[in-house]
This record gives sequence, structure tokens and C-alpha cells, in this order.
Amino acid sequence: MPEAIVAFEQVVFSYDFVEVLHRISFSLYAGQVVGLLGPNGAGKSTTIKIIAGILAPRGGAVTVAGLPLPERAVDVKQRIGYVPEAAALFESLTGQEFLELSGRLHGVEEDTLQIRIREILETFSLSSDRSSRLDTYSKGMRQKVLIAAALLHNPELILLDEPLSGLDVNAAIMIKDLIAALAAGGKTILYSSHVLDVVEKVCDRVLIIHQGSLIADGSLESLKASTQQESLEDVFRALTHSANAEPGVARIVAALRS
Amino acid sequence: MKAIRLAIQRFLRGPAVSRLLKRLGIDPRVYWLLMDLFGQLSERREIFSQLGRDGVAMRKAAWAYYILSGLMVLLFIVAGMTLATYFAVFLGLTALLLFTILLSETNNSLVNPVEGLVLAHQPIDGATYTAAKLTHLLRILLHLVPGLNLIPALAALMLKGCPWYYPLLHMLAAFAVGLVIALFCCAIFGWLIRFVPPSRLKSIGMIAEMAPWLGYMAIQFSRVGHFKLRIPHWLPSQREPRLALAAAVGAIAVTIVVLGIRALSGDYLVRVSAIAHGGSGRKVKARRSHLGALVARLFGGPPARAGFDYLSRMMLRDWQFRRQMIPLIPMVLVPGFAAAQAIRVSPFSGKFTAMHILPHAFGIVFYLISTVIVFGADHQGAWLFLLAPAGAFRGFARGVYARLLTLILAPHALLLAVLAWYWGIRDAGLFVAYSTAVAAVYLGLELRLIEGMPFSKQPDASRNPFILPMMLLGGALMAIAVGLQYFLVFRSPVVVMAVTVALAAAAWLGTRSSLEAFEVNIRFHLGILSTESKGIYTEVDA
Repeated sequence: MPEAIVAFEQVVFSYDFVEVLHRISFSLYAGQVVGLLGPNGAGKSTTIKIIAGILAPRGGAVTVAGLPLPERAVDVKQRIGYVPEAAALFESLTGQEFLELSGRLHGVEEDTLQIRIREILETFSLSSDRSSRLDTYSKGMRQKVLIAAALLHNPELILLDEPLSGLDVNAAIMIKDLIAALAAGGKTILYSSHVLDVVEKVCDRVLIIHQGSLIADGSLESLKASTQQESLEDVFRALTHSANAEPGVARIVAALRS
Repeated sequence: MKAIRLAIQRFLRGPAVSRLLKRLGIDPRVYWLLMDLFGQLSERREIFSQLGRDGVAMRKAAWAYYILSGLMVLLFIVAGMTLATYFAVFLGLTALLLFTILLSETNNSLVNPVEGLVLAHQPIDGATYTAAKLTHLLRILLHLVPGLNLIPALAALMLKGCPWYYPLLHMLAAFAVGLVIALFCCAIFGWLIRFVPPSRLKSIGMIAEMAPWLGYMAIQFSRVGHFKLRIPHWLPSQREPRLALAAAVGAIAVTIVVLGIRALSGDYLVRVSAIAHGGSGRKVKARRSHLGALVARLFGGPPARAGFDYLSRMMLRDWQFRRQMIPLIPMVLVPGFAAAQAIRVSPFSGKFTAMHILPHAFGIVFYLISTVIVFGADHQGAWLFLLAPAGAFRGFARGVYARLLTLILAPHALLLAVLAWYWGIRDAGLFVAYSTAVAAVYLGLELRLIEGMPFSKQPDASRNPFILPMMLLGGALMAIAVGLQYFLVFRSPVVVMAVTVALAAAAWLGTRSSLEAFEVNIRFHLGILSTESKGIYTEVDA
């Protein structure tokens, strides 16, 4: 068994006195693209933030590349790239300045940094906007900057929380291809999303969290086989006991008519 | 000048300072990256929360303090004050002002980590981050300490028996006091961040910020009660054991401060996310108020109710608003307690009582509310108002006014019941009517100070150094108003009645015109919001 890049062991996390993760355990290995699924409020973003060293668990043990968290959080942050779900940015910086800041904080050599920024911005069609302030960027452009900032220092582990949010079709296709290429190069990717067909296409393993507990962990094929479902969406609905949406829709429409 | 500045910068970023920073556990490369970033964000007016980085505000505050200290020096020299008292007064004033400002700045910097959220996943250790964040406290000292002490230090040479080296000693002592206070403020929040759960940190930080104001109140009451500090009898009476005890207490204090500052250098950035999103998690019972329904009926339909409810809820829940209201505590409690002590004496008796101050205290309260109510922790949520139909703001402004009016009506209703017991219904009714009319005039006028939609702007730290001088100025104006009222109005009930009617009419007319101005202000500032190229607003526009 290869050494795990991320080891989550019996992790418990609470916001104030409300426990939101209940003894979750899993491991991620080099070259894997792992989908992290779950309904709203299930604990996906919390899980990712714990791995990113932003939140400290109340119980259990977390290691990233063998480094314990939160004790070695600074070293872990050096090795990860993180695209947050709802990211705040320094709006008055330009795209170029924001990327330079991110790269320099990670200690990337200046020449290398400038080459990487130029290449990534050109690929993302942001070259002409590199000197514009981020507050003039559209949502998709900001998302591209966040993805670029997460990749600049060539991290071993990439944490993506809804990375395709706001991206146009071409950019989304490119990110999906990029994920596959990075994984082929040995990077580990944890990909959290609600868009199940994308997860189905880019991930080779899926974790499903429901109400703070890990309820499924396996390859797509194994999950489909164990639940006797044909698609990931059906697997998800079966495991999370998702209610039929029709009565709820009818209630809303009736309320609007009243 | 530019060459000197460049030389200082080269020295600060040179190997000698880098070695010192490393010895303190600070990464010099990341430290200067962060310093440049915070400087850039302040210069581009993205972040207003660090007073020490706002050069213009600091210079204005320093000039205000030069004038204030200059006036005090004139008074003290004319009064022939002794050098020891002179020194103690300025050092005490420096300590009080800096404690108020630096505690507020430290709280806002550490407990409201807006930049921290963007940087939380970056490889920055706690010591480097907090050092970069708190360096602006030193800049505050560099501006305000000379502002308060340079003129007094030099002018002291005119006092009898003042040695030639006094100015140097005075300035050194003032800087030392400032530095100790800055370290003490950092230590307080170091301990809080270490031991208080992140979800409670904002509330506890707010309570800590009240400390200097509560101290100010304690001084007020100690004078009222003729309290004197006495050395307890159980302390040793000889000099040497007392000195040893003082040294031990000093050593403990230093240890507490050092450990508090060290606590800041721990896992601060690991806690930032939890601190920023902290909240009690308490569920609020959903309910519809009858008062809201009444406001909708009287002040302009559902938009008025929206304004009333919005203000009611945000005033109670917005962290930035609540902490900016802290200076109100002594302003409300001191006159309140003084009035309670004088409750048996009617202002119609011809004697001066604290009751004369009460109507004007509302003026100061509304002044503070009007000037801070546009600032809020969740100011980005103001995009919602960009979607409201233009006609709604008339009712909304009236709803906001109705909520502020309840701050006058509710206490006066209570006061009427209490005062009627002591003074009889005629005097109590007349006084309460007069006080309500005065407060309504203040409210009507001060509505014009509300610069836009409530809770829609990022709090601006550049206001902090002016709070205490403004309070002193407000106190002086209030004293004039109270004096005029005592000598001209409260001479006969008939005059009071006539003035009350005149004030009520003035309040009516003034409020009508102010409400129109307030509505225009709201629209104007929402117009600015929509044209500012903030991400969230651009998305709404699109």
C-alpha cells in the first residue's frame, strides 16, 4: 500500500457546540482524483478546510504528506493548492499582483513565477486583463485567477471546492482536462462539487458525506454495483435518501399564487 | 527627505533588522510581503480598518491633538500648575487616549480578520502574520504621542523649577507609556484568542473594548462617592518588603504580557476562519411585531415596516455597530445615574439638578448613532437594496426614523411613570413633554448626519482618534445648552410649556425636511454603490 498523501482518522469537528463531522476516516493517495459529494451543509467544505489547515479538528488525527495538522499547518499549506468555494479576494489588486502575491508567499523564485503567471494567464485568456483590478473581473475571471493561484507553486495536493462555478463552457472543459493531466503527473486532487456528471467524468473515486458522516467511499463502479443504480446521480439519491422534488415545487407555486 | 525615507527603508529591510525579526520568530520575507500588501490595500482604500496605515487621518488626528494639548498647556501655565502634576496629567491623558484607541484597533485587527480569510490557506505562520498586522499600532504611537506631548514637553520649560532636559524626559516617558499600552493591548487579545472559543471571541472582544470606558466611568463615580485609594493595612509596612512585593507584581505583569503576546504567534491563522464566521449559533425565534404593523400603518406601508425591522435587528446584531456604540456607555450611564440620584428634586423647584441634562443627553446619543449607523460588519449585503424599487425608499427612511423615535418615546414613557410619583403629574408631564420635544428636535436635525443606507459601508478606523475630542466638544456644547435652558426656560411652567410647543413644531418641520434629505442620501449612496466596481454589485447589475 503506498503512503497516503492525506490521512483522515476518526476526525471530529464542531462549530461551537454543534458537531458537524462525526468520526470521519479516509485516505487519499498520489495520482488519485477523488470526488467529494454531499448535500448542502453535509460537511464537505469543512472537510476541505481541515485538510487545508484552515480549521483545526476537535478530535481525531489528520496528516498531509505525513505532516500532522494543525501543528504543521504552515508546512502543509506550502504543499497544497486550494480553490475555495466562496473566496474573498483583495479586490483592489490586479490579477497579476494577486498571483504574484500568492506565488511569493509560497516562495516561488521570481523568474519561475513570472513565467508561470504568463503561461497560465494566456491559457485562461486573461493576458489582456492582467493589469485590471480584480473588482472589474467577472465571476468566471475571478474563478480562473483563484485556480491559477492554487497551481502557481506546483502543489502536491490540490483541493478544489466547486472549481467550475461561474466558468464558461470552454474554460470548464479545459479545467476538466487539466485535472486529468495533473493527476496523470502524480498530483492528488480532492474535488468537491454538486455537479454530479462532472464528478462522474473526472473522478476515479468518490466520497459521499451526509449529515457529517462518511456514508460511501469507493470507485464509481463499485458504488453503482453496491447500490444497484445506473448513474452517480441515482447512487447519490439512494444513499442520501433525497426526497422527490415534485411536492415541494408544487407548494412553492401554490404559495406564489396565493 | 525622500533620500532619508529610502535610507530608513533600506535599513529596515536590511540584514540587521531581518536577523532581529528571525530571532523573534518572524519570517522577514513574508513579513515585508504582508506589510507591502496591507499598505497597498489601505492606499487603494480597500481596507479602512487599520488606522495606522491611513496617513491622512493620522496627520489630521495629530493636528487635533496638537491644538487640544496646546489649549491645555495655556490653561495649566496660567494656573501655575506644579511640574509633577503637569507631567502626571499629560501622561495620564496619553495613557487614557492611547488605551482607548489601541484597544479598539487591536480588537478590530485581530477579531475581525477580513484579510485573514483571503490569506488563511497561505503558508504564513502566526507570529509573522500578527506582527505584520499589528505594526500599524506603532505608527499610531509615532503620530499621536507627539501630537499629545510635544507642545506640553517644550512649554514645560516655562514652568517654575523645570530642568532643561525635561522635554526629552517627557517625550521618552510618553513613548514608553504608549509602547507598554500597545503591548498590553496585544497581550489581552493574545490571551483571549488562546482561551475563548472562536464563536464567542467577537462578543468577548467587545466587552474587553469597553474596559477603558468602564474605567472612565469608575473615575466619575469614585469622585461622586469621595472614594480615596488607601494602602491596605495587611501590606508590610517597611520599605524593602514593599519594594520586593512591587517587583514581584511587576514581574508577574511582564510575564502575563509576554505570554499573551506569544499566544498570538501560535496558530492564529488556523483560527481565522472560525473567528470570522463565529457566531453564537443561537436560533432566533421568528415573530412579527405589533409595533412593526403599527409603523407600516402610520409611516408608509411595507417599506416603512422593512426599515423599522431592518434597523431594529441590525442595531442589536451587527458587531461593528455594537462596538462603535461602546463610547455611549458612560454618556448614557453617568447622566442616567446622576439623574436617578437627583430624582426627588423637580427641575421646576428653581434648583439645578442632573435632570436638566437628560433631554440633551439624547442629542449626544443620536449624534453618535447617526454618525456610525451607516457602517456595518455585513456591509456587502447592501446589494439587496439595489433591487428595491425607487419608490420604496420614502417609506423605508420613515421606518428607520420610526425605530429611532422609539428610543425617545419608550424611555420617556417610563420616565413619566417614575417622575409622576415624585413630582406630581403636572410637573412630570410638562418635563417629559419638554424633554421629548428637545430629543425630537435633536433626532430631526441629526437624521441629516446619516450618510446613506444604514449598515451599508465598511467601518472606517480613521474616525477613532476623534471620538474623545468630539465627546469633549459635545460635552461643552451640551453644557451651554443646559445653562441656557436652566437660566431662561425653567423659570416658570408657562415658559416651559410655550418652549415645548415651539420645539415640537420645530421638530415636526425639521424632521419632515430631514427625512426628505435622508431619502436622497440613501439613493445617492446606493447610486455610488452600484457604480463602484465591487464584484458582488457588478454581478447584481449584470
